[in-house]
Amino acid sequence: MLILKPKKDFEVSVEAEITPDLAEKSEEEIKNFEVWYGKYKVKLGELFEIKKEGDEKKLILDGDFSRVKWIGRGMTEGEIVVKGNVGAHCGAFMSGGKIVVEGNADDWLGAEMSGGEIVVKGNARNLVGCAYYGDLEGMKGGKILIEGNAGNYIGEKMVGGEIEIKGNAGDFIGTEMKNGTIIVHGDCGFVGGDMKGGTIKIGGKFDLLPSFKKAEDGWIGDVNVGGEGKIVKI
Amino acid sequence: MLWIKNGIVIDPKNGIEGEKMDIFVKEGKIVEESEVKKEECKVIDASNKLVVAGGVEMHSHIAGSKINTGRSMRPEEMRVVRNVAGKFRAVVGRVLLTAPGIGYEYAKMGYTTAVEAASPPIGSPHTHEELDAIPILDKAALPVFGNWHFVFKFVSEKDQEKLQAFIAWAIERTKGYGVKIVNPGGVEKWMYGSNVRTLDDEVPIYGVTPREIITEVVKANEALNLPHCVHIHCNNLGVPGNYETTIETMKLVSGMKNENRPVLHVTHVQFNAYAGSSWRDVSSGAEEIAKYVNKADNITIDMGQPIFGHATAMTGDAPFQFTLHKLIGARWSNKDTEIEGGAGIVPIVYLPKNPVHALQWAIGLELGLLIDSDKVVISTDWPNGGPFTEYPYIMAMLMSKRMREKELERVSPYVQKASSLPAIDTEKTLYEVIKMSRSLPAKILGMENKGHLGVGADADIAIYNINPNEVDPSAEYDLVNKAFRKPAYTIKDGEIVVKDGELVAETWGRTFWVDATKKVSMEAIEADLDEYFQNYYTVERINFGVDERWVKKPARLEVS
Amino acid sequence: MENVVCTFCGSVCDDGVFEDGDVRKLCALGKSKFSKKERIKAPMIDGKEVSYEEAIEKAAEILVEAKRPLLYGWASTVNEAIRLGVLIAEKVGGIYDQCASVCHAPGTLALIEEGVPGGTLGSVKNRADVVIFWGANPVEAHPRHPTRYSVMAKGLLIKDRKNRKVVVIDVRETKTAKLADIFVQIKPGYDYAIISALRAIVKGEKIEADEVGGVPVEKLYELAELMMNAKYGVIFYGLGVTQSRGRDRNVENAIKLVQQLNRKTRWVIWPMRGHYNVVGAGEVPAWEVGYQFAIDFSRGYPRFSPAEFTAVEALVRRDCDAALIIASDPAAHFPRKAVEHLKKIPVIQIDPHPNLTTLLSNVVIPSAIAGLEAEGSVYRMDGIVLRVKKLVETEYWSDVQILEKMYEEVVKKVG
Repeated sequence: MLILKPKKDFEVSVEAEITPDLAEKSEEEIKNFEVWYGKYKVKLGELFEIKKEGDEKKLILDGDFSRVKWIGRGMTEGEIVVKGNVGAHCGAFMSGGKIVVEGNADDWLGAEMSGGEIVVKGNARNLVGCAYYGDLEGMKGGKILIEGNAGNYIGEKMVGGEIEIKGNAGDFIGTEMKNGTIIVHGDCGFVGGDMKGGTIKIGGKFDLLPSFKKAEDGWIGDVNVGGEGKIVKI
Repeated sequence: MLWIKNGIVIDPKNGIEGEKMDIFVKEGKIVEESEVKKEECKVIDASNKLVVAGGVEMHSHIAGSKINTGRSMRPEEMRVVRNVAGKFRAVVGRVLLTAPGIGYEYAKMGYTTAVEAASPPIGSPHTHEELDAIPILDKAALPVFGNWHFVFKFVSEKDQEKLQAFIAWAIERTKGYGVKIVNPGGVEKWMYGSNVRTLDDEVPIYGVTPREIITEVVKANEALNLPHCVHIHCNNLGVPGNYETTIETMKLVSGMKNENRPVLHVTHVQFNAYAGSSWRDVSSGAEEIAKYVNKADNITIDMGQPIFGHATAMTGDAPFQFTLHKLIGARWSNKDTEIEGGAGIVPIVYLPKNPVHALQWAIGLELGLLIDSDKVVISTDWPNGGPFTEYPYIMAMLMSKRMREKELERVSPYVQKASSLPAIDTEKTLYEVIKMSRSLPAKILGMENKGHLGVGADADIAIYNINPNEVDPSAEYDLVNKAFRKPAYTIKDGEIVVKDGELVAETWGRTFWVDATKKVSMEAIEADLDEYFQNYYTVERINFGVDERWVKKPARLEVS
Repeated sequence: MENVVCTFCGSVCDDGVFEDGDVRKLCALGKSKFSKKERIKAPMIDGKEVSYEEAIEKAAEILVEAKRPLLYGWASTVNEAIRLGVLIAEKVGGIYDQCASVCHAPGTLALIEEGVPGGTLGSVKNRADVVIFWGANPVEAHPRHPTRYSVMAKGLLIKDRKNRKVVVIDVRETKTAKLADIFVQIKPGYDYAIISALRAIVKGEKIEADEVGGVPVEKLYELAELMMNAKYGVIFYGLGVTQSRGRDRNVENAIKLVQQLNRKTRWVIWPMRGHYNVVGAGEVPAWEVGYQFAIDFSRGYPRFSPAEFTAVEALVRRDCDAALIIASDPAAHFPRKAVEHLKKIPVIQIDPHPNLTTLLSNVVIPSAIAGLEAEGSVYRMDGIVLRVKKLVETEYWSDVQILEKMYEEVVKKVG
């Protein structure tokens, strides 16, 4: 297990593509692990206090990581626990393991992830589980659970997996979704624009698009793309 | 001054076929031995190495609104990092490339000249701004004429004098190099939602046909005696059965002759060489086309070879691009341009197991193999057929049946029945592929100082780590493929820009443009220009075009 | 001097007549660009007058020393200056962003999703028998657009205003709406839903709702009918579409509508770009480094991320520690939180005129006015390049001169 604590309030954001794999390395290697601080490549040890306790594949990020981006990028196994907030792109491209964010998550949480689990105890911002610009597929598998609220653009171009939001979500949920499930327990805005497949379940109020047809247990659409996606009230 | 010592030279224009010899360079030119002081020369030991002229790219989309819109609409292409900023510019791009990347990547393959193959006339200042951002290479651009209303008007009036004056005016104003025609008449019909299907379909308002447009423009081009012949992207591109249109188009110039070059260059013919009546029964029309081209004495082509993987279709053939968008459901950009024509862009992936894609790949190679090496130029029509950085692959494939057999194993078996590729035994020689990538394109473009190593030529030289007298390209295709990807040296205007495949210097090449205005009387078209600009353009006539002083390193070629 | 190119809006009219310091034929907005206005008198460092060389050297020092400098503005200068800006951003490992990120960048994001089926303004003038302004009000923002290019323009096939139907779709009855044959008032925030409905109707689907976004469904059927019956139609969209709920999604949906209409007839769609060279501010970086805006070079190569590298995001997130602002006034137009950060970091300004940003700038470099005192290329809203001219002499350095010198200084410092 590896515990990281920021040494200071960063002047600009830090890009640290760290995964639980790091916990297996020697203390020396961990300290020398390269991260980006603005345009400078610096060593992890310069920005963070490092404490290693055994070889378990687990990272404890203790403190405010809201200005640290790309945490858990492409991780395959192990666990990351963020005690506070976390910066953008957390868990992007991850395929396995678990990330727990005890605070809030910034944009692009779990973007294009294909497996594993992300739990956010606070809120998440925009673009959760989305596809990066120009890519044809967003989230492909795994699960994202947000216990608070989420922002706009959730699960765009999703082809698999599940996103669950306990609170409210913003606008454009599951746009161009092809498969998978999105659950919003609270309210949200436009839902399922150009969805081809998959299911969106909503507990609260939402804006139904005119390109959906009433079905027995909800709505089917988007007719504009000959879609068979489902919107269901829970 | 350079002294390239003991290299094995292949220089088709000068009939040199693998001779061990020295080459001397002074002030950016190839000179006689007596011209240099040997003790002041930088000596390059080229022992056991192949020494050839720098490659000449005659059909590529290197600059202007199409390639740039392609970049903007495909950030997933730009995420591939090729070079981190430092001594040289940062370069990104998978198949599409940034402007610095275009210069670097061509140079890293031993190419030193490249021509933008379709510049919208009103967009020519943009084309030139991008050309000026491409390092190392010498460049030029071909403005498109085939759907320009002035051309329709003068062709419909059968007024050669005006047509010639207009072409000279337009090339001067756009700082262009020659005449490009894209789907003549068809792009104008697209403005009404359709396309032309035969050479005799009429264009609305003007009543002219593709047949008339092509014939008259070629006549005008020949009367002006421009360095480059008319460069045509035929009608019916991408339509099964189109090979007949292609041959019919070629027949339009039969009987016409130019001493120095062909009178018609038909470009990316692979896309215009389909037999059959639909995508279900499509097959290759390459043999028929090859038969015609080989027999004709005034026509050349380039391959338009697809490379498996990502590509971006971008042409001035706007209706074709829309058809492609409907066919594959991908993103689609379109630009209708004043009264000049249009363009479109659609991303595409060529998959080896897809029967149509495999057939396209086979047809490109058939053309390269079946057509005489003094009539077919290597091209991928970048980025339409894929990356130009795969020219070494194409060269190796043309030289090795064994390599083709191996490649055939991984492509759709559809090519076995729909093309003749598996049965072709021809193996082009090194001499021939050097011709197809150097002296032939230079000849077609009318660039006398390019594509060869004779005294007086520009000192654009590529040196590769193969000895033509020892290598067997038929068997050692991997070696050849690798060697052409990594020149020992690329020399541009006498300066070493690439060493061992790595960039070592960034230089800035010239932009060639052709001035034929002295051959015509501009007065003939003054009134027409004024009338059309006033009524149909949205810019003032005086604000149209490019002044020479805006171009970084212009090189004017006067036609007399 | 005749055929003078105007440097106000994206229409870039090129028929101005400049005489004795006055310009004719242009609209009031255009004329204002050529009239005398207050100028920044001299280069300054921390309020003290210095030479150009000193100010530029100081600016280079700030940019080189910063961890992540932001270089923002660019929409109101010439391409040659923009190119140098991109090169400097690349050299110093900073962020390049331009004014589009607060206006029409959603159009670029939509381009990424679907491409843009478009045409030049000349295509519209010559051919368009149906013109739709959606969330755009050219009468006030692009005053000569209706006469030169769209509403009243005559051309090849359209010989008279009567040959053309003009539709305005907006949340309020604008001045442009008064020129229209049809005005459709919609509920704010429902552009996306209305476009989805139009797509469904064009596709032949039945709409189950009675109204969409405040518009009765019958009216949408009429509108769809009009669109399908056009010979050549155009949608010009404005900030009402890009800066309201839905942003890039609205544009993307409209593009999909146009894709579908092209299966029946001809349609194009185009943004009503604001500043005279905001298009160039995107085109130039696209060919130099592959992207149009929101570009970060901190890793030595360009990366594109609107959620991180637009000027507002970088400032609000305190993710830049120095800024160069050229031909723009973020202090007046950016959100309060962004301006607060701008106040805390070293700021370099290049501008002919003083504005609110001048007040918080550490290094101020006055420049010649492009199109009046300096020449260069600019891109009209439809990508057509025009060359703005130098009409009068000046002592001020042009943006190009300033940035050339700055690039030189930066190269000296970073190699």
